[in-house]
Amino acid sequence: MDALIAKADAQGHRQKKRKIFHNATENSVKARTSVPKSLQDKGRDLNVPSHNHIANKKLRSELVRNATQTARAKALIDDAEMLLAEDAGLMQAEGELERTWRVSQPEILEEAGQDAARGRREWKLDGGTYRSRYTRNGRHLAIVGSMGHAATFDWLTGTLHAELQLQETCRDITFLHDHSHFAVAQKKYVFIYDRDGVELHCLKAHIEPTRLEFLPYHWLLASIGNAGYLKYQDTSTGQLLVEHRTKFGACSAMTQNLHNAVIHLGHQNGCITLWTPNLPHPAVQLLAHLGPVSSVSVDPSSGGRYMATAGKDSTVKVWDCRNWKGAVREWSARGGPAEVEWSQRGALAVASGGTVNVYTSPTIQQPMHGSTQPPLYLTHPIPHRPLTSVRFTPFQDVLTIGHAAGLSSILVPGVGEPNFDSSEADPFENRKARREKEVKALLDKIQPDMITLDPELIGSMASEQKLSVTTTFDGKPPRGAETPFARLPRIERLRVQGKADESEVVDPDDTAPDGRKLTKDEKEKKKMRGKNKSLKRYLRKHRKNVIDPATVAIRAKLEKQREERKARAKDQGGETRKPSALDRFA
Amino acid sequence: MRIRVLQHDPAVHLPQRPGDPTPTSRNLDPLMHPFARARERTRALNAAKMDRLFAKPFVASLEGHVDAVEVLAKQPGSLTTVASGSWDGGLIVHHLARRSQLLHAPQAHKGKVSGVCFSRAGRLFSCGVDRTIKLWSLEDEQTDNPEPLSIFNGKSPFNSIDHHYSDPQFATASNLVQVWDETKSLPISNLTFPTSTETITSVRFNLSETSVLASVGSDRTFTLYDIRTGKAERRVVMQMSSNALSWSPTFPTTVLLASEDHNLYTFDIRNFTNPTQIYKGHVAAVMSCDWAPTGLDFVSGGWDRTVRIWSEGRGHNPEVYHTKRMQRVSSALFTHDARFVLSGSDDGNVRIWKAKASERLGVVTSRERAAIEYRESLKDRWKHDAAVGRIVRNRHVPKPVHQAAKLKREMLDARRVKEERRRKHTRAGDSKPKADRKKLVVVEQT
Repeated sequence: MDALIAKADAQGHRQKKRKIFHNATENSVKARTSVPKSLQDKGRDLNVPSHNHIANKKLRSELVRNATQTARAKALIDDAEMLLAEDAGLMQAEGELERTWRVSQPEILEEAGQDAARGRREWKLDGGTYRSRYTRNGRHLAIVGSMGHAATFDWLTGTLHAELQLQETCRDITFLHDHSHFAVAQKKYVFIYDRDGVELHCLKAHIEPTRLEFLPYHWLLASIGNAGYLKYQDTSTGQLLVEHRTKFGACSAMTQNLHNAVIHLGHQNGCITLWTPNLPHPAVQLLAHLGPVSSVSVDPSSGGRYMATAGKDSTVKVWDCRNWKGAVREWSARGGPAEVEWSQRGALAVASGGTVNVYTSPTIQQPMHGSTQPPLYLTHPIPHRPLTSVRFTPFQDVLTIGHAAGLSSILVPGVGEPNFDSSEADPFENRKARREKEVKALLDKIQPDMITLDPELIGSMASEQKLSVTTTFDGKPPRGAETPFARLPRIERLRVQGKADESEVVDPDDTAPDGRKLTKDEKEKKKMRGKNKSLKRYLRKHRKNVIDPATVAIRAKLEKQREERKARAKDQGGETRKPSALDRFA
Repeated sequence: MRIRVLQHDPAVHLPQRPGDPTPTSRNLDPLMHPFARARERTRALNAAKMDRLFAKPFVASLEGHVDAVEVLAKQPGSLTTVASGSWDGGLIVHHLARRSQLLHAPQAHKGKVSGVCFSRAGRLFSCGVDRTIKLWSLEDEQTDNPEPLSIFNGKSPFNSIDHHYSDPQFATASNLVQVWDETKSLPISNLTFPTSTETITSVRFNLSETSVLASVGSDRTFTLYDIRTGKAERRVVMQMSSNALSWSPTFPTTVLLASEDHNLYTFDIRNFTNPTQIYKGHVAAVMSCDWAPTGLDFVSGGWDRTVRIWSEGRGHNPEVYHTKRMQRVSSALFTHDARFVLSGSDDGNVRIWKAKASERLGVVTSRERAAIEYRESLKDRWKHDAAVGRIVRNRHVPKPVHQAAKLKREMLDARRVKEERRRKHTRAGDSKPKADRKKLVVVEQT
């Protein structure tokens, strides 16, 4: 028996696990050697939170293990930045007198490589004003003219996929999950075509659409039209998911936030509204412009934190989506309403009048009083007014502008993300990879009701419930459900702060000259004229056993005014004579 | 003016020669992966659903017994050979892979075959309530109606038998524990606790310290013996009697008891005051238990017609197997490769189940293996999510089991409430709540 127990003791506790350290070299030699203590990696730079407050040992060790793993994974991601192969483009002034905005397209073309130079193009087309849209990998381009000319093509190789003459007004075009399908907002309905231009669906629920957006991770096609209905169509199942009545009338500015799939709409009355499928009203509504909103765009480089809007009042504004209290920056764009678009690396293109201006990232978001234009990065004149769309090509330094005479694409060094991820969007993917990605994306489709303003909500801990109406059996609120300070009534708050006056206030109006309290009827009788002046009523309302700083301040002010009035009356009362004409000679 | 325009080198991103794999590039910047968490949750949900979708644990049923199967035993060192004995005295040695019978003795014993075990040398011992132990050879040509090699006669009906790990000795359980030598016709020693008048229901040798022997008896005891000293070392009396026991194959002092009170208990024999873990799940008496050879899982069969697979240290939510035709499970067994589970039940069948319900049998490619492992870790990571956790946790059980579980829960709740009220109305500090694991052991005797 003792031998058995000795054996078990020698074996120790089974759950003891080999420690894995972040250092790969150490891991490789540890089995054979003993590393001196001074050289041991103690997970020091892994910022693992301690869980000492947790009493349960099993739970604590599991939490620590998870936290370590998370920290290690994060460290590995940081390390992986070294592996990024390609460098972003750039344009830098070297001399003091040089300015990047003075550089013209021919000069950039000279410096650009052969492949990059292919981004500079002019498409002369006569289908009205053009709008364009790229696929997520930036390889394919869809264009549509207002008079019904639609085409999709691989702009790198120059292969045309489909060209359609639709013979009616077309207002917008968008690719669906990849270049194999695209949707066109036509005169009356939205139509879906496949890559070869064969009409697949006519979405009759979307009436008179003006703008289209496709939410790739939710497989939702969102459209807004002249009737002001925002409609979501699930393109994987085909059902019309939801339609929201915006109550703002016709709308022609729409964009999506790539990071939380919220739809931003710009309306005729200058309002911007943010929509999710599961809310029948806008999640956020703000008055952004004095006239109609002409264009909206959300910054993808900062995780959707900044939004740019342009209005028909010729202003461009940049907003912080965390705090809607006023624009971060605003300036006026010359030449009427502008089109705005953010690039992947956070450059903002503003096309207004006959020019396209590009501003770069940190200066656009720096708050600035007044309407100063941020420093210009690049400008390019286009003589074909109006400029109706601007689109940056993903993973390229190219900006495509749609205008009345077709499209022109210009080179803007440093706006495109240089390193793509093949699992998300790969410009060089082949047919098999595209198919595989389509299936994977369908499997990973996120349910539409999970769209929220905060994309990190999913998988995070539910916050502690603050307010509760339920009570436990003894009539008290359950533990941890105390009413927060902010939700307390004012008197309670003052009491908590120690500012409440608990002594009973005796109103002089309520007491008779002999000291006894007046009844209600007597009080009514005593009521004088002027008792119900609004300020007095306000003061009376707030006379609630409380020393309220605001009320005290008003009382003091009133007192001061009364004093002044008295003093003035005294001054004038001393010499009551009327002013005479001879006073000037005194 | 420094100007550089981004351009991707096609030579890097396209395969060099036809047939080459397409190069992939990675950018782990979180901004490049929007909705990473939401997508991962969707994948976890799909993984949980797929796991349940492919949960088809039943593999085969081995027929041949006329009456209820009472006992199962696996041969050490063999993945396929399993012996089963039934209530009508039939003894069958099954070949699991071929699903054939290596030996079939319809009248091995008169009355029930109560114990079967293999020796290291590959010989089979069976004992019955007819007070005999029979030794069978598997090399025999005659597979139907074979003759035993030898017969040992005892004085009282036997309940259980187990063979020593290396020596040619075996132990039997009747009203006392007897140790026999294979070459001698009489027991070489009788082991019994001095004050015991019990019926021993099961006896097992320790797998590490091979001379140590443990037994459970009908007088609610668990007893430890050492065959070298030839006496009982320690005895523990519990609230309810145990039906079976099993020594952990990896941790020498851990023993698992299948109790009549619907629970299983693991004990560390160094400390008998309380079990290391209580395993609650069965809704009727647990009839048998067996460890997986890894020592991480074990299986139990119960009177409630279910087989449950537990992982060590997790006392709730076991995997549940049941079929319409499976009756009271009187014996359950893990195979030596830890991939299959056997159950012998009152309906006379021996059933083969997968140990992991949704595991795919057959060759699994490395990519598939990686996908399976990824899905496993996803499920583990998202198990606290309401939707994922519900799917992972939920098991459909037959209506009687469900009702019994409900009833049991109600009764336990009522008991607890009553206890709470009683405590509330007694003087403060007079009666303290007692943890379940402290209630189990009544007394420890040496």
